[in-house]
Amino acid sequence: MSAPMEIVVCADSAGQLWNCAVLELHSGTNLLAYRGGNTSSRSLTVLNGEYILGAQLGKNFINVWEIQRKDQLQQKIVCPGIVTCLTTSPNGLYLVAGIAEAIYFWEVSTGNLLAILNRHYQDLTCLRFTDDSSHFISGGKDNLALVWSLASVVQLDPSHTPEPRHVLCRHSLPITDIHCGLMGPQARIATASLDQTVKLWELSSGEILLSVLFDVGIMSVTLDPCEYYLFCGGSDGGIFQVSLCSQSLNRDQTFQSDNEGNQVFKGHRNLVTCLSVSMDGTLLLSGSHDETIRLWDIQSKQSVRVINHKGPVTNALIIPAPANMFLPDSRPGIPLPRFSRHLNPLEQGEGTETGGVCLRLAPPHTEWRSHSTVFGGGGLPSDEPGPVWPRPREETKKAH
Amino acid sequence: MTKCKKKKRQDDFQKVKLKVGKTKPKAGNATNINFRTKGINLTEQLKKDANAPTTHRKLNIKDLLSQLHHYSGTVKQGALVGLRELLTLHPSELDQHLSSLLSEAAAVFTDKDPNVRMSATRLLRFIAQSVPAERTSPFFPLLSAHLSCAMTHIETGIQEDALKVLDVLLDHYPALLAARPALLLTNFLELISHRSTGGGARKGQEGKGRSWALSVNPNRNVTGQQWRLTVLFRLGRFLQAVVEERRGEEGVACVSGDMFSVLNGQGGANAPLELNWEELTYGKGGFQVFEHSGAMPTPHSTFKLRPETEPGAGVSEGLGTGEAVRGFASTLVPLLLDVWVEASASDRSKTDSAHLLTPDAMSLMYQVLSILQLLRKLAPQREHQDTLDAWFRSEYLGDFKQHFMKNFPYGNLDTPKQRRKTDPKRSKQAPTIPGQTVEPLALNVLLCQVMVSMVTLSQGEGPAQEPDAEWLMPLRGFVQETMSSGAKLSQRHLHTLLETVWRMVTTQRSRAVTEDLLQAVYVQYQQMNLNLQTRTLLLSFYSRLYLQEHNHTHIARSRVLSRWLAALPLQLSQLGHRNPALSDRLLLSIQAAASRGNKALLNSLRTHACKLYDPQEGSVVLLPAESQQRLVQLLYFLPVMSQGLLANLSRCCTAGRVSAGLAASLIRIIHLRSSLSGWSVGSQDATLRDVDYISFLFSTLTGFSSDELATLQEAGDESVLPPSPLSPLSLYPTPLEQFTHHWDVVEEVCHCLETLGSRSQCFDVLQNGICKNLMGLAVVPDSMAAGLLRAVARLLDLSFLPSEPLLRFLSRCCLSLLSLLLTLQQDTASENNHKREAVWGACVAALSSVPRLLRLVLQSLQVRDLCEEELPQLAQILSLLLQHTALCNQMLANATLLQRIIQDLTRYCRGESKEQWMTDLLYCYSVTMATHHGNLGLRDIY
Repeated sequence: MSAPMEIVVCADSAGQLWNCAVLELHSGTNLLAYRGGNTSSRSLTVLNGEYILGAQLGKNFINVWEIQRKDQLQQKIVCPGIVTCLTTSPNGLYLVAGIAEAIYFWEVSTGNLLAILNRHYQDLTCLRFTDDSSHFISGGKDNLALVWSLASVVQLDPSHTPEPRHVLCRHSLPITDIHCGLMGPQARIATASLDQTVKLWELSSGEILLSVLFDVGIMSVTLDPCEYYLFCGGSDGGIFQVSLCSQSLNRDQTFQSDNEGNQVFKGHRNLVTCLSVSMDGTLLLSGSHDETIRLWDIQSKQSVRVINHKGPVTNALIIPAPANMFLPDSRPGIPLPRFSRHLNPLEQGEGTETGGVCLRLAPPHTEWRSHSTVFGGGGLPSDEPGPVWPRPREETKKAH
Repeated sequence: MTKCKKKKRQDDFQKVKLKVGKTKPKAGNATNINFRTKGINLTEQLKKDANAPTTHRKLNIKDLLSQLHHYSGTVKQGALVGLRELLTLHPSELDQHLSSLLSEAAAVFTDKDPNVRMSATRLLRFIAQSVPAERTSPFFPLLSAHLSCAMTHIETGIQEDALKVLDVLLDHYPALLAARPALLLTNFLELISHRSTGGGARKGQEGKGRSWALSVNPNRNVTGQQWRLTVLFRLGRFLQAVVEERRGEEGVACVSGDMFSVLNGQGGANAPLELNWEELTYGKGGFQVFEHSGAMPTPHSTFKLRPETEPGAGVSEGLGTGEAVRGFASTLVPLLLDVWVEASASDRSKTDSAHLLTPDAMSLMYQVLSILQLLRKLAPQREHQDTLDAWFRSEYLGDFKQHFMKNFPYGNLDTPKQRRKTDPKRSKQAPTIPGQTVEPLALNVLLCQVMVSMVTLSQGEGPAQEPDAEWLMPLRGFVQETMSSGAKLSQRHLHTLLETVWRMVTTQRSRAVTEDLLQAVYVQYQQMNLNLQTRTLLLSFYSRLYLQEHNHTHIARSRVLSRWLAALPLQLSQLGHRNPALSDRLLLSIQAAASRGNKALLNSLRTHACKLYDPQEGSVVLLPAESQQRLVQLLYFLPVMSQGLLANLSRCCTAGRVSAGLAASLIRIIHLRSSLSGWSVGSQDATLRDVDYISFLFSTLTGFSSDELATLQEAGDESVLPPSPLSPLSLYPTPLEQFTHHWDVVEEVCHCLETLGSRSQCFDVLQNGICKNLMGLAVVPDSMAAGLLRAVARLLDLSFLPSEPLLRFLSRCCLSLLSLLLTLQQDTASENNHKREAVWGACVAALSSVPRLLRLVLQSLQVRDLCEEELPQLAQILSLLLQHTALCNQMLANATLLQRIIQDLTRYCRGESKEQWMTDLLYCYSVTMATHHGNLGLRDIY
C-alpha cells in the first residue's frame, strides 16, 4: 500500500475506543488510533510532523504521542489549568495553549514558557497560526479576537508586556472558531461567532472585509485553499457555503437555478463543531455534536461518507500525512523536553538543563524588513526570531 | 550746367499770366467739390449684443472686466460693483467667465485704493459663496499667488485687507488653502515679525539662534497688539484648516481629536461588506471580496517595508513631516511667547492683579494657546505626535510654566463703565476682530489642554513625575473644581476638559488622582437634563476609559468607574423607550463590560434583569430592533438566570413584540447557556438549572401563559369557535400574525428539545407537562394545538409509547384542527395559506408518526352524533386524510374503522347520496383501497 497523501485526524469527547483516530481521506479506512484519555475541542494538533498533542478534556494536562507509536502515551505535559484550546506553530518551534483566559506560549526546543499573555477577559476558545508561523490569532468568549505578532511575543525583556497587533472587536457574542488563510502576513482571517455572523478580516491591516449574517449561531468556519468559498457550520447542523468570488461571466443565462454557489450542506442534526477542506478543495470534512463526521463532495454538495462516533466530535481535521506516521521504526528528530510551568525557569530553580542559545531581537521597527523574503520564500522566515537550535537528528540516533 | 539750372528754375516757377476777361485758372490745390454726401445708417454696430446680459448701466461682463484695468480707482470700484450686480442677476455668467473673473478680481487685491480692495473682497466673497471648491481649484494657484503678494505688500493697508481676502478663502475653501501651507506660513510670520540678520540673542532669549524677531510697524492705524491678534486669529484658523484636511486624509479613527466620538474602535477606514444569508441565497447579486486576488496589499496595511523618506504625494511639503512641523514650531513658538510677554507687560500696567486680564489680552492669549494646541495636532502621524509632544516639553516647558502657569487661573478684569462705552467707537475704527470676547473659562480650559499635552508618560513611579506634579496641581484643581461645581458646561468646553482629564488619567498613574478626577466627571454625568450630545460625550468618555483599563491598573480598580458601570443597567431600564439613541449607547457600554466579565456590572445586571426583560414594559420590547438584539445577546453573559427572568423571557418570545428571528436567537442563546447544550469550553458554572430551562422551553412551546389560558376558558362564545362533535375542543383562532410568530418559535423550541440528549426522556417530560397543565382545557388556541402536535411529531421516538390520556388529548386537538382547516379552506384569502399549510402539516406529521393517534381520531368520529350540516365536513376530513400518501398505510391499518364510518355516513344520508361530497369520499376511499386491497372494500359497502 502506498502511503496516503492526506489523512483525517479526528477525536470525540467520549474516547471509548481511542482518543484520536487517523483515517485515510478518500477511502475512509482506519489507519491508526491513539489511545488514552479524550481530547477537548480545538486542541488536537500535530507538532512538526513528529508528535500528536491533544489536551485532555476537563483536566489540566496535554497528552503527547510520538506519531509512529500509537499505543503508548509518550508524555503528559502538565499545565497550570484546564486547556481549552491548543495549537503548534507550523514550523514546529512553538506550542501555544489557551488556559482559562491566558495564553501560554512555550518554546518546543527547550520547553521554556516564554510568555503568558493576559489580554483576554474570558476563556479562550480558539488559537490559530498563520501558515508562515509569523502571527497567531486567539479568540475568546469575550467577543474578541486578537492578532499577535510572534516577534513581539517572544521578547526576553521581562518589563515588556506584549501587545496584540490588532484587536478584532466587532463580534457581539463569543467567538467560536477562527480560520486563518494562506499567505502569511497577507492572510485573511475568518472568525465565527455565536452572534450569527462570520466575519472576514485582513491580517495585515486588521480591517474587516466582510460580515455575513446567518439565521443561526455559527460554530465553525473554514475557507477552501483558494479562498473562493467560505464554509460555516451552523448550530442547527447546516453547513453554509458562501461564495466569495462570484463568477458573473455567464450573465445571459437567466434561468440559473442555483445562485452563485451559496448553498447549504444538509445532514447534521446538531452543532457542527469542526470543518476542514482537503488540499485540492474538493472534499469538506465536518464533525458535529450529533456524533458523526461527514465527508462532503463540495461540487455536488452530497455527503460522501458518514463516520459514526461514540460521542460529540471535538476535533476533525484534514492534514497532509506526516512522513513518520507510517514508519514504525522512525524516531522523532528531537526529543521533547520537559515543559516548564513557570515563566522564569531560573527563579524556580528548574532551569539548570536549559542550554539554548538566545538571540536578541532586532528593534521593533525593523521587524518586517524581511517581509518580502518571508512572503516570497513561502517557507520559514529567514530571520525567525528566537533561539536557534540545530536539528540533532544524527546525534540522537547515535545516542539511541 | 549753369544753363541747365536756369532752365529748371524756369520750369519750376513759371509765371502764370492772368488776363482780364478770362476766368481765373484754378489753383493746383483747389478742392473739387463735385460730390454729394449721404448719411449711412449702420444699424447693427451700436446695438448691444442681445445675448450678453448687462448691468443697469448697460455694461456687459467684458466691458466691466476691461474697466478693471482703468487707471481711475472710481472706475475700477464701479466695475467691481457692477460685476457683483451682474452676477447676482445672471448667475450663469459666473460659470462661463470664472477664470477671467477670478484672475481680474485677484489682480486688484493689491490695488492702492482701499475702496477698490474692499469691493474686490466683496466680489470674491460673492463668487466663493456660489462656486464649489472643486471648480475653483484650477484657479487657486493664481488666487493664492495674488494673496501672498498682497500679504507681503509693503503698504500696511494692503496687508490688512489681504487678511480679509484670507478670511473669505478660509470660510469657503479651507481645504484648498491647506493643501499648500508652506508659503502662507512664511507670510504669516512676516506679518508680525521680521528676519533678524544679527544674532538671535537680542531679547536675551537664552541664545537659541533665533532668526525671527517680532516687529512693530508704527505706521499702522491699530496698535501692534491688535494687529498681532488679528494675524494670530487668521493663523489659528488656517492651521485648523490644515489639521482638518489632514484628518480627512487619514480617516477618522486614528486621530485623537475625535477621541470620544468613535466608540469601541468601530470606525474602520473602509466599510465592510455586510451580508445577510437570506439575501445571499435568494438575491441574485453576487459579490466580490477579493478585488485583486490579494496581489495588491491594501493601503491600510500596518506593515511597512521601509520607513518613508519622502513625504507622500498628497501631503504638503510644508508640514508633511514631523521634522518640518518641528522646524516651523521652533520659529513660531518663541514669537508667540514674545507676543504674550509684551501683551502681559502692557496689561499689567492697567491692572493690579496678575490673574485678571483685560479682554484684549485675554483674547490674545486665547489665540496664542489655540495656535499652540493646533501645532501639536499638525504632526502627520500618531507616533510623530508623541515625539512632538516630548520635544515641546523639552524645549518650552520652562517658558510655558513661567509665562502661562504663573498666574493661572485667569479671570476677567471688570472694565470700568466709561471704557466700555468707548469700545464700540474703537471697534469702528479698528478692524473688527472676530472672537474678540473670550470667556475666562474658555481660556483656562484651553490652557489646561495645552499644558497637559506636555505631560509625558511617567516611566517609573516616584521621582520622575515629581516635577510634573508640582505644576499640574493647580491645573488639576481647576479641572476638578470646574467639573464638580455642577455648573453646566458647553459642549466644546466639556470636550476639552474631558480630553484633559483623559490625558491626566492616562499619564499620571496614581490612583488617588484618577479617583478625584473621575469623581468630578461623574458629577457632570449625574446632572439632570443634559442634552443628548453632552450625555453621549460623557458616556463615551467613560466607556473608552473602561476599554483602556487593561494596561492601566489604576483605572481598572477605580471605584467611580465601577459605580458608573453598575448604574448603567438601572439607567437603561429607567430610560425605557424615551431615547433610543441614548439607550443604544448605554447598551454598547454594557455589552463591552459584560463581555469582559465585569463583576460590578454583571451583578447589577442580574438585579435589574427582570425589569429589563419585562414582557410588558421592559427595554427589550420597547427599544428598536437593533437594541433588542443587543439586549438578547447580553443574556449570554448573565451569570445566573433566575426562574422569574426565564418566565419573562418566555413571555417575550411568545408575545410577539420581538421578531420571530430574534425570539429564535434568544432561545438559542439560553440553550447554549444551559448545561444540556454540550457546547462549553473549559469549566463553567451552570447559569440556569435544567428544570428551569425545560420549563422555559415548555412554556414557550405553549405560547400562552396560564392566566391567558384561564381567561380564554371563561371568554364568551363570540371569540372562540364553539365545540361540536367534529371539533371536541373549542378552538380560539389566534390572529394570523401571532400564529406565524408562534409557529416559528415552535420550530426553534423543537430543535432545542431534539438536541437535548435522550429523546425518550425529553418526550416524557413533555408528556408530563402537557398532562399536568393543558389536559383540562376546554378552549385551546389553535396555534398552541398545532405547536403541540408539531412538537410531538418531531420528538417522538419509536421506542417510546406515549400515554393514553395524552393521546386522547392530542386526538381531540387534531380533530379540532382538521375541522378548523375546513373552515380555513373556504376562506380563499392567500394570507391564510401559511396557516393552512402549517396546521395541515402539523396534523399529518402527528398522525403519521403516531399510529395510535389516528386510530383514536377515527374512533372519536361518531356519525350518529352529527347533525346534517356536519356530515359533509366529516366526509371532507376523511377524504383529505385518504388523499395524503404519507397517511395511506396508516389508514389501511384502520380499514375496518374507516369502513364502519363510511357505512354509517351512507346510511345517515341515504336520501341525498348523489351529493358531490359523498361521491368524492367514496371515490377517494375506493382509490385508496384499490391500490392496496383490490376491490374488496368497495363491494362490502353496498
